Amino acid sequence: MTMTEENETITMQEEEQIHSWHSQLLRNISKSLHDFRMADRPGKVDMLGKWGLFIPAVASTLIIVLILAFLWFESVPILVDPSGGPGIVVSPTWDPNRDLFGIAIFIVGSLLCAGIAIGLAVPLGIGGAIFLSEFCPMRLRQPIKMIIEMMAAIPSIVYGLWAYLVLVPIIKNNIAPITQSPTNGLSLLAGGLILAIMLLPTVVTISTDALQTVPLSLREASLALGATQSETSRKIVLSAALPGVGAAVVLSLGRAVGETMAVLMVTGNSLQIPYSLFDPTYVMTSIITNQLGYAFVFPLWRSALFAVGLVLLIMSICFTLTAKLFIRWGMKTRGYI
Amino acid sequence: MPEYEHNIEVHGLSTWFGKKHILKDITCYFRDNTVTAIMGPSGCGKSTLLRTLNRLNDLVPSFRRKGEVLFKGTDIYGVGTSVYDLRKHIGMVFQKPNPFPMSVFDNVTYGPKLHGVKDEDELNKIVETSLRKAALWDEVKDELQSPAPNLSGGQQQRLCIARALSVDPPVLLMDEPVSALDPISAAKIEELIIELKQDYTIILVTHNVQQAFRVSDQAAFLYLGELVEFDETKRILEAPADSRTEAFITGRIG
Repeated sequence: MTMTEENETITMQEEEQIHSWHSQLLRNISKSLHDFRMADRPGKVDMLGKWGLFIPAVASTLIIVLILAFLWFESVPILVDPSGGPGIVVSPTWDPNRDLFGIAIFIVGSLLCAGIAIGLAVPLGIGGAIFLSEFCPMRLRQPIKMIIEMMAAIPSIVYGLWAYLVLVPIIKNNIAPITQSPTNGLSLLAGGLILAIMLLPTVVTISTDALQTVPLSLREASLALGATQSETSRKIVLSAALPGVGAAVVLSLGRAVGETMAVLMVTGNSLQIPYSLFDPTYVMTSIITNQLGYAFVFPLWRSALFAVGLVLLIMSICFTLTAKLFIRWGMKTRGYI
Repeated sequence: MPEYEHNIEVHGLSTWFGKKHILKDITCYFRDNTVTAIMGPSGCGKSTLLRTLNRLNDLVPSFRRKGEVLFKGTDIYGVGTSVYDLRKHIGMVFQKPNPFPMSVFDNVTYGPKLHGVKDEDELNKIVETSLRKAALWDEVKDELQSPAPNLSGGQQQRLCIARALSVDPPVLLMDEPVSALDPISAAKIEELIIELKQDYTIILVTHNVQQAFRVSDQAAFLYLGELVEFDETKRILEAPADSRTEAFITGRIG
């Protein structure tokens, strides 16, 4: 008897809460409808625009959350399985036939490949941007920039084909003999190089735009103090544009870890951790593309591939956030915000 | 060292941007430890003349020049003159405050570091003396590491003056340094200019007659690229010899 009474009070309280929540929502909706009805025509257009734009804004944030959730649900089987578990990210053995799903090789491969690419593309790209924005004759700037922008439009598979036929043999015949390392050319170095070439246009064009927004008066102030043009472009222009250049690096970071086709074609895809530039390697995107077809009917195998995707997404989110924090810090020390 | 009378002398200077004739055969000199005002209506070539003195016009590809500008007796456009060395000796303050997007401290040490000062103590000393000379030290001494663009407009302009003074140039060029500022900040900077002339030769571009009267000792009046009058400021403003000068002073042109 007492039990039922208690239960009833609880339900009543809950109902009341739900009721009040409902009524508040209703009140909000009716209020905005009332506002809408009372507004004049431009006011109505404004309100419609506000609500209409709210949807895409929320949708784009929702998509990231939904993708994360989807990858999480798909990788749960491997993460709770005794043969898997969260330890797979540090385990180096990938052998689906023996139910060994260590993905450390791919993480290392991806990080090394992206590291080489970023290490090459960022300094070169910034150098190119400085040339284009500070030293290049006005008449040449636009044509050169246009050609570089076209580079960004080349499909990655085409880069892959070119690398496979040109870059890989060059590495095999011309570069590897320098250190006398045995290789067939399909290597970490090839992957890093082709990625770097693919990232260059992004870095150059975005950095050039950032450098161009630095006001002329800053350059004049530096020159008027007796600085040379190269000192001015390095110490003033580049420093002033650093947040913008940082944005270029963020974008290319995302692309570097996420790029698939070209890297897949030239890295050799061998299940080992590379110890030299000329060793073949296997990156995260490649293993997913290569094995998803076979793995689809094996729940654990399939789930392991989704786990690779999850780690990839988390990694790229982390990179972006770190870079954003760095950019924020840069803006603060420069008095932009 | 060639003999010379004044830090800066201009002999028969004509300049062009492309086909446009800007300055027409200008001859004048700037006395040491005085403020010389260059006056004239907009577009008369005041800024061009000023920027010819530290060769900042060289940046414009279509710039051409005839005639001599002598700094301590040597032609600054002559063979073998280092433009970087020249600009170290002729400082410049611009119309709009343009502090570098870095800390107050780094703004002032930028110039000295370029010219090879590395010693930490010396840099600290330069920062203090430059900021003191620019009457800014008391306001910013506790926030030397904060970003310069966060200062107020007037403070930014005084920081720019301190930055120009940091390499200790004997000559200071000022291109309408207060025209972008509020009246109170402007008055402060005018006071500062009068104080600075004890140690520096100051050349001030202005289109404000009252300002020229308040701060300058001698004045040059330019009109459409010609040097119409060049004399003591008082004499020019009280008894202009040329009708164009009179028209400018009384506000009929400008």
